[in-house]
Amino acid sequence: MAIENLNEFLAGYFRAHHCQLLSNKNGILQVQLTEEMDRALMNRPFYWHYIKKMGREGEPKQLTFITNPDKREEQGEWIHFGSPRLQQILRNLKQNEKYTKLFQRVNTQVNTPMYPWLVVNIKISYKGKQKKEEIFSLGLQMVTGEMRAEMMDTLRTISLQQTISDYCYTISPIIRLNSGFKRMEAVIDNYIENQTHEWAQASLLAMKEDIDTLKHFYVEQTDIETETMEKEIAEIEERYRPVISYEVINGGMFYLTKL
Amino acid sequence: MNEISIQKDSNYIGQLQAELEKGEALSSWELFSMAYEAELTSMTPEFHGLRSLDFLPHVNFMDHQVSTAQQVIEQMNGRAILADEVGLGKTIEAGLVMKEYMIRGLVKKILILVPASLVNQWERELNEKFYIPAIGHRRNYAWEEYDILISSMDTAKRSPHREKILDIDYDLILIDEAHKLKNHKTKNYEFVRSLKKKYCLLLTATPVQNKLVEIFNLVSILKPGHLGNYDDFLTKFGKDRTKMKDDLFLKQLVQKVMVRNTRAETTIKNTKRNIETVWLEFSEPEKEVYQLLENSIHKSSFAKITYLREFCSSREACYLSLAKIHDINNPNEILQTINSKIEALPHHKKAEKLVELIKDIGDEKVIVFTEYRASQLYLQWYLQQHDISSVPFRGGFKRGKKDWMRQLFENHAQVLIATEAGGEGINLQFCNYMINYDLPWNPMRLEQRIGRIHRYGQENDVHIYNFAIRETIEEHIMTLLYEKIELFEKVIGHLDNILAELEITNMEKEIATIYSESESMGEAKIKLDNLSHVLKNTFHAESEEEQYGN
Repeated sequence: MAIENLNEFLAGYFRAHHCQLLSNKNGILQVQLTEEMDRALMNRPFYWHYIKKMGREGEPKQLTFITNPDKREEQGEWIHFGSPRLQQILRNLKQNEKYTKLFQRVNTQVNTPMYPWLVVNIKISYKGKQKKEEIFSLGLQMVTGEMRAEMMDTLRTISLQQTISDYCYTISPIIRLNSGFKRMEAVIDNYIENQTHEWAQASLLAMKEDIDTLKHFYVEQTDIETETMEKEIAEIEERYRPVISYEVINGGMFYLTKL
Repeated sequence: MNEISIQKDSNYIGQLQAELEKGEALSSWELFSMAYEAELTSMTPEFHGLRSLDFLPHVNFMDHQVSTAQQVIEQMNGRAILADEVGLGKTIEAGLVMKEYMIRGLVKKILILVPASLVNQWERELNEKFYIPAIGHRRNYAWEEYDILISSMDTAKRSPHREKILDIDYDLILIDEAHKLKNHKTKNYEFVRSLKKKYCLLLTATPVQNKLVEIFNLVSILKPGHLGNYDDFLTKFGKDRTKMKDDLFLKQLVQKVMVRNTRAETTIKNTKRNIETVWLEFSEPEKEVYQLLENSIHKSSFAKITYLREFCSSREACYLSLAKIHDINNPNEILQTINSKIEALPHHKKAEKLVELIKDIGDEKVIVFTEYRASQLYLQWYLQQHDISSVPFRGGFKRGKKDWMRQLFENHAQVLIATEAGGEGINLQFCNYMINYDLPWNPMRLEQRIGRIHRYGQENDVHIYNFAIRETIEEHIMTLLYEKIELFEKVIGHLDNILAELEITNMEKEIATIYSESESMGEAKIKLDNLSHVLKNTFHAESEEEQYGN
């Protein structure tokens, strides 16, 4: 579910931020920013500061995004995976969209119960000599304790909104948020313990080799030498020491009918 | 498993609880799922490979640049000497390594130490090519505040900067022109050793200039102990450079921390070098002055050689030198005669030819190199008389001025007149005509000159014209030195090694000595011829042998 179509992604992003799409064809997207988006993307705080001080409305900018590489000579910003603008937008998303509470949209005339799910998207980093990452999307039914993987893929198949639909009511969770999260962590802990971690062994070996090599360099055991050596050992450890870290990307409470 | 430390995200769930209770800034489904997609897109799924290539579709990397970056990261674990020959794109390789580490979230804080004249160039290149937000250090910038700063060594090592920098834990240190750190007793060396760094890249085109111990010192910055300790190293290998090639083991050790690509092996987009020697004859009056200089100044001396060379360049260059030694209290008749004859000379043959050639070349940009500032000034004036716009360039310019001149040349002027290529000069790939108005006596400097334009990024064939005047000292240098060692035809990348091998540290001086210690021009020519032979033979021997560091 990584971004595949940059044009759609950008259009969706600006629509979600209530910006008017002025035109969108042949991989060229023209957007009228709102004030909020201008402040978030255009990096011109002084403009907004002074314009507001003068009691004026201010004019948010228009932006043109070219996602079709054949058109990159035209007026506008060429957007690709490494372009600073896309990186800025991705950064903003990661920073701002961390928490949510959503309800399944249902068209019903009868009273319908909505079951509470805790959904957490989590990134695991394995860092030694090299680094790699893995992403999990977990869902926990907060009444029954049922747990599901690839929860985001499931959620994409249904319609979600920020308010509860008519005739629907929520079931109160039995599992508390904190202990629900603990259960998820336990699943990941278990997953990690069951791996062999050759990467970590290789890193530890390289670390040991480098430290042994280093010790060979220092013959005189003067204070200064020892101090330098310790500094260098610390650098080597920092570079190789295997670390696995969990980082929550985002998460929230989802109220769903029977899945 | 016990040796792996595990860091959990212990804050998140509390924050979620608080946000749910507040109920204000909760995300819509669209944005929530886009944030997830953003992570899936920017994550690093594999230990191996270069993610950075996907992020930089606008740059055409060359194979050796990509493989070098990968080798540095995957095999050398981020501490390496990048020792490509001039013009193969060490900056590009370093940029790729940095970008990769940044994408993988392994590097945030970077210090880049480069010669002052290159700060702007690095800044531009990293920002434009790599979208790496590096900034040149300016007065009053706080070192801890900016993640990626570029500075000169001289600034960085000076108080109060020094103390601030030494306090910071850098993720990556990059040092350009690192061969300047060859001596472990210098302040610069000591400063670099004490920097706190995780990854470290040293860039140099000439990893060993003279002594084997230089490579020891460079390697000891990256990986102390890799070549043993200082005393052991000296005992084992001495200070003798030639032992490197005898010692396969040492070679292999060095290869573990150094990548050296040579032009011969790389698939550099093969833009050709068209080399043409432009032979000129002095006019009769010029000849007369030349002979006067040659015969009337007593015997051979460094000074006399200089006057002759200068006179082959411009009247002005020679005149100024002669005027300097002119003693009012003790007037020298010969000098006065010579000077008054020089004053009466018409325009220099070479200058006339220069104008003719530039007009033939047409609208293309041209770089003119001369050895003398007086000639540079004269040519600027002379070109102006012929409606040819030019800008001057000197090694001594401040970095801002160098940049400015480069820009003027790129956008406004047709000709750049430079006195010095400088191993650390500017990149002028947008230009593909070069005129060597006079030749340096050091082949390395000629390589550097050519390297300014015939390098990675050059899209067209390169045209190089070398001026030389018949029956002068220039003819000797051209025929006995440059043509003999086939410098222009072969791209001699090993030249640095060869000179080091022969323990020639100063080629100019070597040649000047030949002239000054010879009784006659004939004798000088024979000696010069011998020197070229030695160079050529060493070159052949060297190229047969596998080069270390590859």
